[in-house]
Amino acid sequence: MTNLITLEHVSREFDGGRVVALRDVALTIDNGQSVSVVGASGSGKTTLIMLMCGIMAPSTGLIRWNGKPVTTATEWTNLRRSQIGIVFQDFNLFPTLSANENVEIATFGTGIDSRERKRRAEAALDAVGLSARSNHLPHALSGGERQRVAIARSIVNRPTLILADEPTGNLDSVNGEAIINLLFDLHRKQGVTLVLVTHDVRLASLCERQIRMKDGQMSEQPPVRTLRAAK
Amino acid sequence: MNHLQLAFRNLRRRPTRSILTSAGVALAVGSFITLYGLSQSVEQNLEQSIEEHGTDLTVRRAGTAELFGGTISQSMGARLAKIPGVAAVAGELISLINTDRDEHVLAAGWARDSFFWQNVPLEEGRLPHRDERKVALLGIDLARAMQKHAGDAIGLLGEQFQIVGITRFNSIINRNVVVVPLADLQELTFRPDAVTFLSVKLARPEDPGEVERVVRDIDALDGLSASKSENVLRNDSMIGLLRAVSRSMAWVALLMGVLMVLNTLLMAVLERTREIGILAAIGWSTERITVAIVIEGFILSVIGSAAGVVIGVVGAHLLNSVPAIGRFVAVRPTPGLIVATALAATVLGILGSFYPAWLATRQSPAVALGRV
Repeated sequence: MTNLITLEHVSREFDGGRVVALRDVALTIDNGQSVSVVGASGSGKTTLIMLMCGIMAPSTGLIRWNGKPVTTATEWTNLRRSQIGIVFQDFNLFPTLSANENVEIATFGTGIDSRERKRRAEAALDAVGLSARSNHLPHALSGGERQRVAIARSIVNRPTLILADEPTGNLDSVNGEAIINLLFDLHRKQGVTLVLVTHDVRLASLCERQIRMKDGQMSEQPPVRTLRAAK
Repeated sequence: MNHLQLAFRNLRRRPTRSILTSAGVALAVGSFITLYGLSQSVEQNLEQSIEEHGTDLTVRRAGTAELFGGTISQSMGARLAKIPGVAAVAGELISLINTDRDEHVLAAGWARDSFFWQNVPLEEGRLPHRDERKVALLGIDLARAMQKHAGDAIGLLGEQFQIVGITRFNSIINRNVVVVPLADLQELTFRPDAVTFLSVKLARPEDPGEVERVVRDIDALDGLSASKSENVLRNDSMIGLLRAVSRSMAWVALLMGVLMVLNTLLMAVLERTREIGILAAIGWSTERITVAIVIEGFILSVIGSAAGVVIGVVGAHLLNSVPAIGRFVAVRPTPGLIVATALAATVLGILGSFYPAWLATRQSPAVALGRV
């Protein structure tokens, strides 16, 4: 297995160093792994995710993608467009765009023509079981359906890494279960690397690796069970 | 879906604001076309009215700041006629006078031997006889407005004149002027032997060297200044003032339109901070986000400009229907002015969108997404 993303002595400070959100984190995630990140609010989970997709830059340290350092905003933008899919707790859909268009918008700038963009968006919605609702606006969808649209958007460019930040946080248990099944299904069938931020210890235990965050510092828990073992 | 459709969606989200912004741009473009067109038309109409009489050079008192501001002696015409290259000289006295209906009309006094009489297109009636007095020719638009015909009478400054003919000149000024014998107008306005300017017809107007020489010869005469017909208004202070005021107002109107686009997009960007953060999170480059916002500015400007062209043309038409304006100026914005204004408004609108777009791309995606 090859290293997909590596964090080397990464720290992140705010307010000129008065707040340290992440302290000297070292982490390597291999291609195809599933990793959970657990911890209390303010422990640095979201900061870690934001750093792993380049939405936030580290104060110190280095992040590598496939072994190569990623240092510029442009490099991160290109990675987010083609290699990294992000799923947010609060869906972050565009209210004026239909489900299909919310997915298609992530394909802008990928160099494919509009017909192919539309086809890929439909395929992504089909993959999350929402093709029948593709023309609906977000306000006409349930919370679970909205999160499915967000997942479809995150996979439409066939990423190698999905970062899911509390994807079930705004959902009831039934919908939450369905979304988790969907994410793990993508991980298993398409070999997508999955990093899952969650408060839920049970969900975390489904991942091959468990990372615990506390006061900006990271520790790795021994796996309760791995998906491969489960297979 | 493409960028254009995406921009339309965003603009349709707040239809009232988008419509009001486009309406603001439309009013700005319309005002620019009307005001700038007014300034252009005044000059064009005056030039046309001078050229329609077959005038090559207009001679006036040197140093007078406005075309109708000074008078010169009619007898100077005889001196000009002796200059080699001058084919004919005609003195003309211009005055704004009252009619018996208490309306102001532009009156022109022509000498009995003026070459102007050779180029008078008649709609009805006849030209005055050589020594005929207290007779008038009415421009066709003035005659229609006053419901006068050849054979009717018209009161000018308390004196009755017989209308002997109706003229149908092309220029709006000449279509609204009343022509009377020069001697009659000099008497009525207490300006004996005075003319407003002397019009010169050249023997070889097509020879630029000859024209320049004649101009120099006239300028050498004491107190006179000659200009080619197309240049006669260039240094006129009243026309210059009108030009400066109308064009300044026009530019202010246009800039207000641009500021409206900028303000609307700025508000839209501030309101959509989170959405812009999402775009950055899903891999949109700063250039692509900039383009998306600028396209919204482009759409607002194009719609506003198109509506502004209609407002400008209608506004010009409305100005023409105001008697105080329409009797002296036919405001006709040129296609060049219309196209240039619409293009300028669109380009300025696009430029005005760059600032909000730049602001949008400056914000950190993490902050925009509320992750800090």
